[in-house]
Amino acid sequence: MPLLEITRVTKKFSGLIAVNEVSMNVESGQIVGVIGPNGAGKTTLFNCIAGALPPTSGSIVFDGKEIAGKKPYEICQLGVTRTFQVVKPFASKSVLYNTMVGAFAHTKHLHEAERKALEVLEFLELDHKKDVVSKSLTLPERKKLELARALATEPKLLLLDEVMAGLRPTEVTDMLPIIRKINETGVTIVIVEHIMQAIMSLSEKIYVVNFGKKIAEGDPHDVVADVEVIKAYLGDEYVATQH
Amino acid sequence: MIGIIEALINGILMGSIYGLTAVGLTLIFGVMKVINFAHGSILMVGMFAAYWFVILTGWNPYFAIPVVVPLLFCFGYYMQSFIIKPIFEAEKDVREPITVIIVTTGIWYVLDNLALMIFGAEFRVAKTSVTGQVFEFYEMYFLLPKVIGAGITMVCGIYLYWFLKHSRMGKAIRATSLDREAASLMGIKQAKIYNVAFGLGSACCGMAACVLIPFYYVYPTVGVPFDIKAFIIVVLGGLGSIPGAILGGIIVGIIENVGAQFMAATWTELLLYGVFLFVLLVKPSGLFGQKHDY
Amino acid sequence: MKQLLNQNPKILLISALLLGTLLILPLVVTSPTLMQIFILIILYAYFTSTWNFVGGFAGVLPLGHSAFIGIGAYTSTVLFQTFGISPWLGMIVGGILAAMMGVIIGLPTLKLRGAYFALATIAVGEGVRVLVENVKQVGPLMINGPSGISIKLAESSFSAFQFDSKLPYYYIILTMLLIVLLLTYFMMNSKIGYYLAAGGEEPEAAEALGIKVSRYRLIAMAISCFLAGLGGTFYAQLMLYIYPKSILGLDLSFEIAFIALIGGRGTILGPVLGALLLRPVSELTRIYFGSMLPGLHLVIFGFILIIVMRYYPKGLVEPVKILLNKLFINRLGKQGGPDETDSAGKAD
Repeated sequence: MPLLEITRVTKKFSGLIAVNEVSMNVESGQIVGVIGPNGAGKTTLFNCIAGALPPTSGSIVFDGKEIAGKKPYEICQLGVTRTFQVVKPFASKSVLYNTMVGAFAHTKHLHEAERKALEVLEFLELDHKKDVVSKSLTLPERKKLELARALATEPKLLLLDEVMAGLRPTEVTDMLPIIRKINETGVTIVIVEHIMQAIMSLSEKIYVVNFGKKIAEGDPHDVVADVEVIKAYLGDEYVATQH
Repeated sequence: MIGIIEALINGILMGSIYGLTAVGLTLIFGVMKVINFAHGSILMVGMFAAYWFVILTGWNPYFAIPVVVPLLFCFGYYMQSFIIKPIFEAEKDVREPITVIIVTTGIWYVLDNLALMIFGAEFRVAKTSVTGQVFEFYEMYFLLPKVIGAGITMVCGIYLYWFLKHSRMGKAIRATSLDREAASLMGIKQAKIYNVAFGLGSACCGMAACVLIPFYYVYPTVGVPFDIKAFIIVVLGGLGSIPGAILGGIIVGIIENVGAQFMAATWTELLLYGVFLFVLLVKPSGLFGQKHDY
Repeated sequence: MKQLLNQNPKILLISALLLGTLLILPLVVTSPTLMQIFILIILYAYFTSTWNFVGGFAGVLPLGHSAFIGIGAYTSTVLFQTFGISPWLGMIVGGILAAMMGVIIGLPTLKLRGAYFALATIAVGEGVRVLVENVKQVGPLMINGPSGISIKLAESSFSAFQFDSKLPYYYIILTMLLIVLLLTYFMMNSKIGYYLAAGGEEPEAAEALGIKVSRYRLIAMAISCFLAGLGGTFYAQLMLYIYPKSILGLDLSFEIAFIALIGGRGTILGPVLGALLLRPVSELTRIYFGSMLPGLHLVIFGFILIIVMRYYPKGLVEPVKILLNKLFINRLGKQGGPDETDSAGKAD
């Protein structure tokens, strides 16, 4: 059974149909990408999965449980954690503090949370900055912190919302192995992204969304060659970066 | 029955004056996204200024308008540019600029208590040619200054609405309130707009002040009930909406006056708080407000 | 406990010195008037520290704290006057009632944004004051509206919570303050503290990390209001006379908020520092200028608030720490420089 099963999810905003009967499956352990031009509805879909918005109709089943319409904190407690496109660190607090907030998801004890947080920070090679106040971090570091915080909640499914946004090409290349590393520990990942290079090299499977509808799915290389997808992208919406 | 209609009309009259002060507050909020807790105190300053003007010149309080209104405009303008601006700038990126609210609260305290120190706590009344005059209408009696006051505030409200819609400065102000970054990219100087908005908001208080003194007591903490009512009105009408403020003012005036027919004045105060909390919890964007992410 | 002692040694030293001074104070000060002033200073430090749970940690601006103080005061007083119930028991009941009120009010309002929340608390605070002022009695319970209640004099004893000398009052309130400070410390360094801080800074991110922000804010509210209620009873027993303007209403709420803000909200010592600095100002201006220039101390407060917010929006705790640091460099020749943050960024 797929870890995440999205069935005919629709989201309407008084007249505008942002997400139109989209269905998706994510198997445990996969990295699945969701791409589409600006305004295609990817973020809205993402927000529906994450609980930030309740879908108008349709079902979202995670690990056998229906999560459509649940609140973000409930969804996180069930094992789905998301990151934000515009990173939201707890600016006045240190890197370790930030990560510990995530770690408290599964423990009540301070030392336990600290231990877990340090573990995650080491894994992401951010531990040397553990005492730095997060507002002093560079953007790539903040993105890593966002990941660390999310990882500390021990998610089964990690939802990444345009995690590459704002990064320079070299920084994007640096981020890729990190995401792979996270996936190798068993965390399933759904990544919404704009940057072709990232999606192509990470995803085992991608979905293409346009005007709120799913227009293609499958192996990345097949999908990219698909006529419909190319049509959707005429007009250079994509940021194609070199390998 | 007559009593209720009289109360209703009185409510509308008084309410439009409340509405004018609320218009000032909502203007400041709409542009700067800041709730000016010192608003009532500014009104108080205006009232004292108008009072002394009348006492010293012996003229009609409405002649005080050309003096007090510009005076308060400057007062607000400079208060914003010297005291509030630096703090506002510092908090530009903060999610919820609470510090500015705190500072305006400090200003409230300073102004009210300075007035207390300088003028003493006594309640003063400005004896003018219109004070105590009554206007009769179908066996109902209304205080003439209240009627005049309501008329003037209505005119002001309409003028302000027109000003914001059609004048250059008005458009600049509206642009800033909709999207300050975009406005600034279009060449509109933020700092100036904020100053003007504050000045205009304070000028509204000045106008209300002149209109109030013929029939309302003047004392250092007179601003407080107006301040609180202005908040209630602004929430009721929708933060940032001028018609909302005027309508809200009238509603509050009606509740206050008609309510007084059925219960003691202090209970109407409680009723107003109740309505206020109800609106805050049920529909915080009020009647005409937009859903902001402030 | 081990954590407590792991703190920056300089802070510990200063705190210990301060505590020592406070403990032996009554041995040095004999005048009851002066003792009363000190008691009030500690009481305000207590009030502002209870305010801190919501205003400091939850990240919102409550401006109606006096309502809960008043509920505590009135509850224990009315229970004592009508049924002869010991004020200590009344204190607990008052605290519980205040906490319940706090939760009821908090449920709908804690979801509001900054300015709206502030306005709502003002409305509630004033609402409670107006309500009490308008009620003469409820059944057998005498409330006396605006004239307030005078507490029956009883034999000076612990159980009656009335004493002839000021000393017991002093130590009671000092103990209460220390308990609140310790509670604050432990809370800050616990799951609740982290969650509150997260919810206060970035509620959306916090929710995405599994935190039901509103729940934790309510917990903080309940604690804050319970403790405030206890303080209200203490005040009632100290003054033996309570009336709406003294214990309810905007003035007290604002004064508490101002002190906490000037001292430094969200820190442990900030509110205490604020009280230590501002209460004497309040008392001295009242004593020397009270009759000639009423309201002077509030003008001064307002000015200080504006200036501090302009230059030190986080309060005076940090600059004072740095100042004391420099003094330590000179005196003890220890390693200087600005205070380093403690490990794990734990607040101290």
